[in-house]
Parts: sequence; C-alpha cells; structure tokens
Amino acid sequence: RYKPPTTETNPALEDPTPDYMNLLGMVFSMCGLMLKLKWCAWIAVYCSFISFANSRSSEDTKQMMSSFMLSISAVVMSYLQNPQPMSPPW
Amino acid sequence: MKNLYIFVAVLFIPWSFSLAKYDEFEDGDDIMEYDDNDFAEFEDVNEDAVTESPQRIITTEDDEEEATVELEGQDENQEDFEDADAQEGDTESEPYDDEEFEGYEEKPDASPSKNKDPITIVNVPAHLQNSWESYYMEILMVTGLLAYIMNYIIGKNKNNRLAHAWFNTHRELLESNFALVGDDGTNKEATSTGKLNQENEHIYNLWCSGRVCCEGMLIQLKFLKRQDLLNVLARMMRPASDQVQIKVTMNDEDMDTYVFAVGTRKALVRLQKEMQDLSEFCSDKPKSGAKYGLPDSLAILSEMGEVTEGMMDAKMIHFLTHYADKIESVQFSDQFSGPKLMQEEGQLTKLPETKKTLLFTFNVPGSGNTSPKDMESLLPLMSMVIYSIDKAKKFRLNREGKQKADKNRARVEENFLKLTHVQRQEAAQSRREEKKRAEKERIMNEEDPEKQRRLEEAALRREQKKLEKKQMKMKQIKVKAM
Repeated sequence: RYKPPTTETNPALEDPTPDYMNLLGMVFSMCGLMLKLKWCAWIAVYCSFISFANSRSSEDTKQMMSSFMLSISAVVMSYLQNPQPMSPPW
Repeated sequence: MKNLYIFVAVLFIPWSFSLAKYDEFEDGDDIMEYDDNDFAEFEDVNEDAVTESPQRIITTEDDEEEATVELEGQDENQEDFEDADAQEGDTESEPYDDEEFEGYEEKPDASPSKNKDPITIVNVPAHLQNSWESYYMEILMVTGLLAYIMNYIIGKNKNNRLAHAWFNTHRELLESNFALVGDDGTNKEATSTGKLNQENEHIYNLWCSGRVCCEGMLIQLKFLKRQDLLNVLARMMRPASDQVQIKVTMNDEDMDTYVFAVGTRKALVRLQKEMQDLSEFCSDKPKSGAKYGLPDSLAILSEMGEVTEGMMDAKMIHFLTHYADKIESVQFSDQFSGPKLMQEEGQLTKLPETKKTLLFTFNVPGSGNTSPKDMESLLPLMSMVIYSIDKAKKFRLNREGKQKADKNRARVEENFLKLTHVQRQEAAQSRREEKKRAEKERIMNEEDPEKQRRLEEAALRREQKKLEKKQMKMKQIKVKAM
C-alpha cells in the first residue's frame, strides 16, 4: 500500500558523531597548518577517517572528501616546512 | 655558490658514513688504504677508531677544510706508528701481496692519544641521519591508520553478512505475511524490491506493507558499529549487542486505545523517561511480571490492569518466557509519538502527532560476537510480532476500560493545554497588537484627510465597544461571585 517513511525523526539527533568528527577534523587541520604542529595534522587525518566510517549513506561525499584532503594537506605541509620527525611528549 | 658547497658536503657525509659502515663488516685486519689522507680515517684500525672516525667526519658539516684540520690529528698518530711498524713491515705484510699494497701506509694501532683531542660531537638533526628509526612516531601513526582501514573493511563485511543472513532466514515468513517486502521510497509506485535498504554501514532498513490490519512495518537492523575501530575498542569495555527494531504502524480502526509495555526492567525505566506516551499514561513504576508467569527479568508497564490481563494470554506468555533473553522491550501504544521532544517553552503549542504503533526491540544473541547462524534464532520472534499484530486487532477494551482510557486522554490533553495556556495567551496578545499596529499604519498612510478621520472614528468606536464588553463581563463575574 504505502511507501516507506524516509527515516523520520532526526538522524542528526540520533548520532551526531560524523558531524562532530568532521568539525574536529577541520579544526585540527587548521591548527596543524597555522601553528605548524605535526600531531594536530595527524589527529585531523584520524578524525576524517572516523567521520567517514560513521557517516550515513545519505550524506554528501564531497564534504567527506574535502575534510580528508584538508587533513592530508595539513600533514604534508607540516612535513615540508619542518622535516624533523615528531618527538613524543615524554 | 657557497650553498652549493654546503649541499655537496652534506650529501658527501652520509655517503662517506655509509662507506664506513660497509668497512665495518670486513675483517678487522684487512687494510683498505687510500691514497688520500682525508680518507685515512675510514681504515679499519680498531673498533675504537672506526666508531670515532665517522663521528669526527660528521662534525665537519660546514667545510671540508675543517675536516682536514681535524684529520691531521690522526695523521700525526699514523706517522708515529709508521716508524715503529716500518721495521716489521716486511713480516707483517707477508700474508698480503706487496705489489698490491705498494704505496699504502700501514694502518696505525689505536692510540690512546686520540682521546685527548677535544672532540665535540654535535647532534645531527634527526632528519639528516640516514635511518628510518628516527621517524618511528610517523610509522606508528601510519600503522594505526592502516589498522583502522583494515578494521573498517572487516567490520563492514561482517555487518553485511549478518544483515543478509537475517534477511534470508526471515524472507519466507515476511513474504507470506506481507504483500510488499522492501521498498526504499525512490519509486513512484510501491514495488517490492525484496532487498534490504542499507542506510549506513551498520543500519539496515526494511519496509513491509500490505497486510490486513496494519499500515506497514518498518524493520531496522541496528548492528554494532563494527566498522569503527574506536567503537570496537569501546565495546571491549562495555559489551553491547546488535538490535532488531520493529515498528508496526496500525490502522486507526484496528487498534483500541491503550498503552502497554513489557521488557527488561532497565529498558522499561529508560523508556518511561524517554517516551512521551509511556511517561504520560503509565505513571506507575514497572511491575514485575511474575504474577503472570513471566521470568523475573521482565517487567510490565501498563495504563490499566485490564490491558495487562487482556494482553497476557497463554501464547504471549509462552513467547515471552521462552525468548526472554532476546527481548529488550515490547510496546503497544495508541498515542505513540516518539521520544520526548526537548523543546523550548515558547514553541510547544500543539500536542505532537500520535500514531497507533507496536514497537518491538530484540537483542541478537551473542552480545557482539554474533555469527550469521544466530539470526535463525530470531525467527520465532518474528512470528511473535505477527501474532501481536493480530492480537492487537482483536483486543478490545470493555466499557469500563474505555471510559478510563478516555478519561486519561482527556486529562493529558488538559494538562498540556494548561501548560501552554500562558504561551497561547501571549501568542494571542501579540497577534492583537499586530492587528492594531497594522490598522494604525493604514490610517497614517491614508492621504485623504476625510478618510483618515473616518477610519479613526471607526477605530475609536471599536475600542469603546470592547471596553463595554469587558465591563459587562466583570459585572457578571461579580454577580456570580456574590
């Protein structure tokens, strides 16, 4: 008889993880680029991966790809500017 | 140009360093001597000499000339030993072919005087050292990423397999009960796709429709997030299980007015707090189901005792007791509107829309480590769902029950209206003010003075009438009070 409800309620309300991770990823990659912190850039890469893994199929892949590219570029730029390896904080 | 020399020197150093390393693996007694004094230090004199000499070469970052200055210290030592060794030169070089080594000097023994030379061993920046070991943090990061990707692929595939295993076991039952199995809402007409609709890497939907008493049934397979490594690690701390959520939307005429829930105590407590209808209609705490023969783990939340009596017939009890471990919650409600909406005071002007629904939440056995075989054990639960649909259609409250139910609903509505009374008043007030403002503007905008006067008079008259009405009302209230 009827057609299915396209998932009512708010998918954003139910699981905000991909959006948070996206935002975090962008923030970290900006930090990594501006402040030249390598670990920020690496965390940004991780955030974008986590956001991709948790994303809904209805979400824009362009957003995902752009955050991923931004984080990769943050890593590359940090290493070009300062080729020293990362030193652990301990 | 100077930069070019520096660049060449910097390149030169690792090359020479690598050569020194190569020499280490040869026999200690081998004499690979070079003509040039600069390279004299690469001779394998002793272990000490070998370890010291590369460091000394490396200190000469800036200029090759500095290297020669420092090397001269060694050369002096070499000359010292040359005299001593010259006498024994023939005997020592016996194992070697003299012709081959003509012109080469004997290698000097390790001299303690080398230690007296002031050596400043400068720390080479790690990125100039020719070793990958200094980049271990980066290598760690990359391995972490690779592990994440591997886990993503494995988790995704596992969820996929579980979903399809579930669907294959349940397909027959669903197709025999529903005319339309699987519809993703993209086609204009309702056509049965017969496939699960993948919303996420861990959520699969299935819409079934075409049965007698229900509008439709939405089945959501909510698996654990196996594709996310963070989630996998979190689950190691706190075990959770996959869930199958079934939501049956009933037709309005096919279900009577009642609210009823059965489930694990924890789940019911949580639902009572979260769900709008359960919190409003079922005010008591969840009662134990032992009275009806249910196991202790299950509890009952109900609007009226009569509903519980009606619902708990033999077959239902049989289902609930046998599959108690898989049941998380079962909710029948005619006032279902989803979880409580967190809204600001000003926005809530209308009761949320309600639909008659039956909600079932089942836990897949295995608590995380499920295999496709476990899906078969969920098949009887689906039969329970279908039985419940029929039962809900058949069950009717008697007169008393109906009265009670209607009273409850009226009460809830009243409460809601009271709550929103203030907001509605404010809304009405603001609307009235806006009307007045609009009128005044119109009056101001009228260019014709005659018309202006007339409109003003009309407005005045209207206001007077309103005042009179209010006064009448006040008089009436006073009379009644007296």
